[in-house]
Amino acid sequence: MSRSDDEPDELQVWRVLSEAGLVEIRLDEFAERIRDVKRIVTGRLRDLLDFNNRVQERESAAYSLGTLKGLELKVQANAPKPPDPPKI
Amino acid sequence: MMKSTAKQLDTAANWPPQEGQLISLKSSAASETATLKEVRWGLVWRDFILEDGRVIPEHRISGCPLPQAWRKISEVTDQEREECEERLLSMAGAGMDPRKRDQSFWAELNQYLAYTYLRFKPAGSKVQDQDKE
Repeated sequence: MSRSDDEPDELQVWRVLSEAGLVEIRLDEFAERIRDVKRIVTGRLRDLLDFNNRVQERESAAYSLGTLKGLELKVQANAPKPPDPPKI
Repeated sequence: MMKSTAKQLDTAANWPPQEGQLISLKSSAASETATLKEVRWGLVWRDFILEDGRVIPEHRISGCPLPQAWRKISEVTDQEREECEERLLSMAGAGMDPRKRDQSFWAELNQYLAYTYLRFKPAGSKVQDQDKE
């Protein structure tokens, strides 16, 4: 009985995303995960600057980075406020 | 053991559940049953939309066959990605409830982050189509 050829890829993607903490993101982790992904996109964008023939990919990465920045600001602005510390 | 395998095969053959079906799931709060309204593909995995509007990823639905069918990032069109980005920014602009994890905004944001990570992550570990030109 042969399994799908895609199975190793799917399991690998699951592992990669799990290790990056991106399969199940808790509410209090979203801002941090956005920052993590922004770092990845920024690194890729930096690499792409060395290639003159990958303009479209560069533009797409830049757009994604802008989207992530916008989402980060909104998520931070909507973060639940911690309760005030008790006054002594 | 035989029964278990037979049940798994049966589940896989009938997966995903039908609209209107009662499904068991693990929500962000607890294990429960709920009525399925719709199954929708996100950028990476399938989301199950419940009658009450909550959005639950497929891997939290009881009986989900393993490994789950996930999309390859190359299957996502530029238009689909751009629409997702617009939708997320629009939903964020309209305000989200920071206490409701199963809200559609958080579900879509989770998938967008997973997809964007897979798309731009450094080469080295071989993951679907990462280095396709």
